[in-house]
Amino acid sequence: MPAFGAEAPNQPPGFSAVFLRWAPVPWETNRLVLEVSGIAKDTLAALQSTNWPAANWPALLSVFVEQPGVEPVPMLGEHRIEGALLRFAPAFPLEPGLRYRAVFDAGQLPGADSAVAGKVTSILQVPVRPERATTTVTQVYPSADVLPENLLKFYVHFSAPMSRGDIYEHIRLLNEANLPVELPFLELAEELWSHDMLRLTLFIDPGRIKREVKPLEEIGPALVAGRRFTLAIGSGWKDANGNRMKQAFFKRFTVGPPDRDPPDPRRWGYQAPPIRTREPLAIDLAKPMDSALALRMIHVVDESGRAVPGQPFLTERERIWKFLPQHSWKAGRYALIVETTIEDLAGNNIGKPFEVDVFDGVARRLEQKTVKLPFELK
Amino acid sequence: MKSTQLLSVALGLALLAGAASAANWTSGMTEGKVTLKSAGPITFGPDGILFIADTKSAAIVAIATGDTKGGAAKAVKVDGINSKVAALLGTAADQIILDDLAVNPASHTAYLAVTRGRGAGATPVLVRVKGDGNLEVVSLDKVKHARVELPDAPVDGVQGEGKRQSNPRQESITDIAFLEDRLLIAGLSNEEFSSTLRAIPFPFQKVANGTSVEIYHGAHGRFETRSPIRTFVPFKVGQEAQLLAAYTCTPLVQFPISELKPGAKIKGKTIAELGNRNRPLDMIVYQKGGKDWLLLANNSRGVMKITTDSIENAESITAPVGGGGIKGTKYETIDAWKGVEQLDKLDAGNALVIRRGEGGALNLESLPLP
Repeated sequence: MPAFGAEAPNQPPGFSAVFLRWAPVPWETNRLVLEVSGIAKDTLAALQSTNWPAANWPALLSVFVEQPGVEPVPMLGEHRIEGALLRFAPAFPLEPGLRYRAVFDAGQLPGADSAVAGKVTSILQVPVRPERATTTVTQVYPSADVLPENLLKFYVHFSAPMSRGDIYEHIRLLNEANLPVELPFLELAEELWSHDMLRLTLFIDPGRIKREVKPLEEIGPALVAGRRFTLAIGSGWKDANGNRMKQAFFKRFTVGPPDRDPPDPRRWGYQAPPIRTREPLAIDLAKPMDSALALRMIHVVDESGRAVPGQPFLTERERIWKFLPQHSWKAGRYALIVETTIEDLAGNNIGKPFEVDVFDGVARRLEQKTVKLPFELK
Repeated sequence: MKSTQLLSVALGLALLAGAASAANWTSGMTEGKVTLKSAGPITFGPDGILFIADTKSAAIVAIATGDTKGGAAKAVKVDGINSKVAALLGTAADQIILDDLAVNPASHTAYLAVTRGRGAGATPVLVRVKGDGNLEVVSLDKVKHARVELPDAPVDGVQGEGKRQSNPRQESITDIAFLEDRLLIAGLSNEEFSSTLRAIPFPFQKVANGTSVEIYHGAHGRFETRSPIRTFVPFKVGQEAQLLAAYTCTPLVQFPISELKPGAKIKGKTIAELGNRNRPLDMIVYQKGGKDWLLLANNSRGVMKITTDSIENAESITAPVGGGGIKGTKYETIDAWKGVEQLDKLDAGNALVIRRGEGGALNLESLPLP
């Protein structure tokens, strides 16, 4: 942020030297402090000894955001006397593109003659940050081109942190005629972001997936087998710096039949890496799995149950899970520990489909929390 | 055909370890600076204690606001509260998100959990509405507080892994409520499609795992699925504490809090069908004319006033409801309460709401309870 010149357009009588200046804070970038100079030494001393409560200071010196149609409210900040200066440090950074008005009312000084004292005002226009539309959607999971009719969620990954609030205005599910499907997503005020604001979780409204509920009967499913759809992300969505996205993003896919089969680790195959190498262990998950959960809920442990350090990753449209160990494999017994709450693309868990048939399935529900799949490296 | 909602409760530690004496709510609190990564939802407990859910830190902070002086509630009307909060924080109204509203029952003062900014560096701020309608920021620099983390459950059969680096999982806290001597917390993960409900004794104890229960609710027919709780309110039916929970997809469900025990399977009841294209936002319980009422704000179907005498002996909804109609417990839509986005009880006779007025402005106002 550039330094800003001083301005004191309307000096009150008797305060010819009063001057307002926005000064940069050396140890904090993008922070400015308002400084008032030219107040007589004894007046400053009197001011210091007033012990005013915080509420009195804004009448003497305040900063207001200029917003049309909004009555001015003094911005929160801290007043301080330092040397020959009265300082106001705003509690928050000044924002690009906004106009701030600083007002010093000399009539509020202790012992001031309000008849002769007056106000000094200074306007600061913070420059608009230059628009740099660089952020893109880097990946949408599931990455497959054919998705089940009862797909539960998308993960949208961005190249830079994004902004929160009103996100659903920028996301559309389009049908074959390029018309938006009505309310396909679960619109949550919380907006399910990762901590770094790089990944958004988008749930399909379960009311548009599961059977025998009102929304599904009245407005039908969001996705229909045999049809083509497009997930469209608009470029008007702003990133964390307030810039629009570089371009819109489209994921085109075909919808296949619903998947109501719980993932079954007994059907998983593995390819053993040679010992004394760091080649990845590869597990064939038999069908594409939820990307985030597959990366989090499958663990490699040694014979004693200790986690083997390493990095998991997914290939083949999230059907193959690979694990790159930190150290070379040693001969011995290992096991995969899989949390049963892992989900496939339709939200089916191990031992438990997304929709449980209450007349048929409850008794067979799996109660254990993990499944252990032993393997040996020789 | 008659079927009931089936809530199965899995997982868990003891639901409620013996709660500490209720006499001194601030015992165990320390004085100092409270640092929040995010703020909201918020709710009040006894003696002006404010609970703030910090989702980004997976923590709950209890703050002794010291705002305990009683007095009659005053009518409140602050037009364009989003613009006023923006001015106070030195920014534009479009950079302000009003995350939650809570009224301190001790003083009838309104508190707002606010986020300044929309990006990764967004700052949470707690704002109080003074009696004259002016706003002030509640300083968290030196305040008596207690904090409890919501830990990730360990994985059976895996030792020594700890938290994986850059784990993008986050559990959003969708609603919190204080009941007698415990805080109830509903959570929603950004990965697994499930909802957890925790009960944490207050004052917070040193190892406060609380309890995590997974709740499943059924459709009206033979299939049940997991579904996240959107908003809930504890509510006493006779002597029995009940939880009334509104789900992200359609029904309002009731179940007794005492049955939330590890391993138990609870039969809850669907007591009202709220209609499609609709999401519940906020819920309060109040008394009028010697009866308890439930007031539920929704995003597209307005504010519903629901009788609770039929909740006490409500029949579950037995079959899918067709034609966009309603079934189960009777409700009335309060037409005059349009655009309500936040709702809390101001006092026995009034609610405090934030609602969207003309030109998109958000207004804070008190309204007599219907």
